[in-house]
Amino acid sequence: MNRFLAATSGAAMVVTSIVAPAVAQAYDPATTHAGLTERAVLASELHRTLSRRLSKPLGLFEPVVLRRGDLAGGEARSLPGRLDALDPAGGYRPSPEGVAPALAWIVAGAVIAETPAERGQNLFYDPVRGNGLAQAGGLSDLGHGLRMLFDSGGLRGAATGTSFNLTGRPSTEWLAAPDNDVGLRAFYDQLEAAIAGELPGPRGTALARALLALGGTLAVLEDAGEPAHVRNDFRGAYLGVGSSSPFDRGSPFERYVADTYGRSGVPAAGAPVNRPTVMAYITAADRQGLADRTQRRFFSDGTLPEDGIVDRDTTGADVMRDARASLPYALPALPRLDLHGLGDKRYVYASAEAERGAAGRAGGAPGPGRRLLAYLRVPGRVRFFLDGGVYTDTARALLPEIGAYGAGLVDHLFRAEIHLEVTADAVAVSISGAHGDVRKGDVRLYAEDASGRRRPFATTLPASTATSLTIPAGTRRIAAVLHGEDDAGELVAVAEQPVL
Amino acid sequence: MGRGVRRKAAAVFLSVFSVFSVFGALLCACGPLVERAPFPVRPDSVRPADLLGPYDGIVVDVDSDRPIAGATVAASWAFESGIGFHAPAGAREVVVETGADGRYAIPRLDDLPEGASARIRRFTLVVYHRGNVAWRSDRIFPGRSLRRDFSQRGARIRLDRWQTNLRHANHLVFLGGGAKVRAAAAWELQAAALELDGEQVPVTRPRMESTGGSTLVPLDISKLLSDDEVRGVTGYVGKFEDGKLTDLPTTEFYDSRHFKALGKPESYDVGLRVWRLGASASEVQYGKLMAALPDARTTDEVGDGSFRAKAGALGGLVFLVRERGVVVSLTCGAAQCPEPAQLTKLAKLVESRLPDLPPEPVRNMAPPLPEGVPSDSDGPATKPTPAPEVPEP
Repeated sequence: MNRFLAATSGAAMVVTSIVAPAVAQAYDPATTHAGLTERAVLASELHRTLSRRLSKPLGLFEPVVLRRGDLAGGEARSLPGRLDALDPAGGYRPSPEGVAPALAWIVAGAVIAETPAERGQNLFYDPVRGNGLAQAGGLSDLGHGLRMLFDSGGLRGAATGTSFNLTGRPSTEWLAAPDNDVGLRAFYDQLEAAIAGELPGPRGTALARALLALGGTLAVLEDAGEPAHVRNDFRGAYLGVGSSSPFDRGSPFERYVADTYGRSGVPAAGAPVNRPTVMAYITAADRQGLADRTQRRFFSDGTLPEDGIVDRDTTGADVMRDARASLPYALPALPRLDLHGLGDKRYVYASAEAERGAAGRAGGAPGPGRRLLAYLRVPGRVRFFLDGGVYTDTARALLPEIGAYGAGLVDHLFRAEIHLEVTADAVAVSISGAHGDVRKGDVRLYAEDASGRRRPFATTLPASTATSLTIPAGTRRIAAVLHGEDDAGELVAVAEQPVL
Repeated sequence: MGRGVRRKAAAVFLSVFSVFSVFGALLCACGPLVERAPFPVRPDSVRPADLLGPYDGIVVDVDSDRPIAGATVAASWAFESGIGFHAPAGAREVVVETGADGRYAIPRLDDLPEGASARIRRFTLVVYHRGNVAWRSDRIFPGRSLRRDFSQRGARIRLDRWQTNLRHANHLVFLGGGAKVRAAAAWELQAAALELDGEQVPVTRPRMESTGGSTLVPLDISKLLSDDEVRGVTGYVGKFEDGKLTDLPTTEFYDSRHFKALGKPESYDVGLRVWRLGASASEVQYGKLMAALPDARTTDEVGDGSFRAKAGALGGLVFLVRERGVVVSLTCGAAQCPEPAQLTKLAKLVESRLPDLPPEPVRNMAPPLPEGVPSDSDGPATKPTPAPEVPEP
C-alpha cells in the first residue's frame, strides 16, 4: 500500500506542478507585437519605399490583395485559417476578399508568426550559449504536456507535429528556416515574385506574402527584446497561473504590457538602428544585437537570484555571495543589497542609473533610475521578485528600443535601390544603397503591357552607373528586380516605374 | 505474476486514472475562460461588465450633444488559446450603423470558442464617422491614453470634431477595425499617404448636417469636361463610357474622370485628374508629377505653368493654376488626339471651366502644432524629401 500511496502522491505532485503559481515575461502577439511592428514600420522608410520604388501611391496605406487561390498547398491550408483568427479591432485582419493595406499585412505577419501558439518555441535565443529554448524534462515538462494533451490545440499539435516539449530551435535559425512561412526566406522569395510574376493577381498575392513575412521577421527580432526569450526561460516565465483554471497559464508581464499599452499605446520607436547584417540585429560579436543587449540588462522571472537564507549565523556578505552564485547568467550583476528593515520592499537599479542614486523605497517618489528587480526582507529570508514597478521600467526601456531595431531592420532589408529613369523609348538602370559590391545577381527587367501581363525583356549587371535599355513597344510599366548578395548578405531590390 | 507486481500495476493505474479524472473534471466543468471586462456594466456603476454583452449606447457630437446618425459601430470579441504562449484563436465581429437617434445595439455573443485553453480575451468597440475623430473603447485619440468612460450598457459615445492639427496617418493607424471600418475611412487614405510623404495636407472643415453630424464634401469635376466637348475637339464619332480612374479614390481635394472609348483600345481613351490643394500644396504636387512622369518637358502653354509627358501611345499635359490652387492632368491616347494641339484645346477648355467647380470648403493648411496643444505627435517624424505620388497612367 505504501507504493500505492507513493504513486498517488506522485500524481498529486504532477497536478500540483500544473497548478503551481509562477510568473513570466513575454509579449502578447495580438497587441504588443502588433503595436511594436506598427511603430517600427512607421519609423522606417518603408512608406517611401513602397510609394517611390514600387509605385504604390498610398505607400503603407496601399490596398494589397492576397488571393487565396494563388496559395500553394501547405500555405493554402494553414495561412487562411491563421489570418481569419485575427481580431478585426486591431486593424490588421484582411477583408473576406483578402484585401488589406500594406501596413496591415506586415502587422498581421508579426501576429501570425506566433500562431498557433506553439510556434513561440522557436522564438528563443540565448546569445551566451548560442542555443534556443532548452528546458525539457522534469515535472514542469510533464505537467505542461498533460495540459496540452487536454487542450484541443495540444491534440491537434500532437497530430501535426507542432507539439511543444519545452525545447525549440534558436530564433536565429528559425528566422531563415525554409519551413518558416513568415520568415526571411519567404520574404526574399515573395518580394521577388511580386515583381517577376507574370500576372497581376499572383503578383499581388506575392506582395502580400512578402509583407506578411516582413512582419514575421520583425516578430523574431522583437522577441529578442524580451528578457525571457534571451535567458532560456520558459518554465519560470510562462507557466504561471492566470486564474484557477489549470489551462490558463500566462505571463504577468505580458498581461501588464498588453493591458498598459494595448496595440495603439505602444511607445514610438527610437531612431532606426543601423547594423551590418540581419543577424547582427539579434546578436553579434560586438554584443550590440538586441538579444545581447536585452540579456545582459534585464532579469526574467525565472532567472532571478534564489531566495537567500537570513539568520543569526549569516552575514550580508553571505547572502550576497549566495544570491550571486545562484544567478544563471553573469549579467545583470547584483549590486550590494540593503538588508536592514524587515518588510521593506526595495529595488535594485540598473547599474548606469544606480550611479545617480541609491536604491529607493517602493511606493515613494519616483526612483533614481530603471528598476531592475525588487527584493524584500522577510523573517528568515530575503525574497527576489519582479513587480509592477520593474515591469513599468522594463517596458519603458525596452519597447522604444525594440521599435528602433525593428525600424532599422526594415530599412536594412530594403537597403538597395534600383533606379529606373524612363525616357521616350528607353530606360536607364542603376543601383544604389548596396553595402559594397553586389554579387550573385543580375537586375532583371520586365515590361508590363496594358493588361498587366509582365514579360522579361532585359537583364543587366548591377552597377551604380546607368545602363540604358530599349523599352519594348506597348509597355505601360517597367519593373525590375535584383536578388543577389552584397557585403551585408542576401538582398532583394525592387522597382517599378509607370510609362505614361 | 506476483502479488506485488499486481499491486504495483494497480497503483500506477490508479494514479494515472486520478490525474486524468482531475483533468477530465476540470475540462467538463469549464467553458471558455472569459476575461474580466476593464469597463463597468453602466456609466454609473463600478460593477465590471459582462464581456459577452449585450452592448448598447448612443453616439453624439461632443459640441452639440446631438445624436449622430450613420456612424459605423464595429464591435468585436477576440478569442485566444494556448498554455503559456497565447495566440489569436478567432474573433466575432458585429458591425452596425447608428440610427437617426444615434443609438446602436450589439447582441450578446452566443457563439463561444471551444478548447480547454480557449479564452475570450477582449471586447473592442470602434466608432467611426467621417468628419469626427475616431473613437475606440480601449484608447483615446490623440494621445492614445487609456479610455475610462466606456460602459457595456447605456454608453454615451461623444465624438470630437476633426481638428486641423491632427494627422490622418496616425488617425488611420489608431483606428484599426475590420473591412467595413476601413471602407468608411477610405477617404482619409490619400491625405494619410501625403503626410507620411512629408507633405502638409490641406484639411477642410466639416460641414454641419441637419442631424447634428458633420460631413466633408468630395470634389466633383464632372462639369469640367463632357463627352461632346471631347468629340468636338478631336472629331471622334464613337461613344464614351464615363467613369472615374480607379487608382486613387475621390476625396474632397481630388477627383478624376475616365472617358473610355466603347469598343476601342486604350489609345482612344481620355483621362482627367484634378487636385484642388491650395496654393502651396498644388505647387508641390505639380513638381512631384513633373519629377515622376516620364519624358516630362516644360511647355507653359496652359495655366501658370504646364508640361507635357509622353510614352508610347499616350500623351499627357499637366498644368497648374496657382490662384485656384489646382493641378490638372489630362491624358489622351494617340488615336484620340493625334495632334498635340488637340490636347492643348482640351486643357484650355478645362481651365476655362475651373470657376464652375463647386465652392471650395473653408480650407486651412495644417499649421505647426502650438506648444501645449494635445496632438498625435507620437507618430513618425515627417520625412524630409517628398515622394512623388504617381497615379496609374
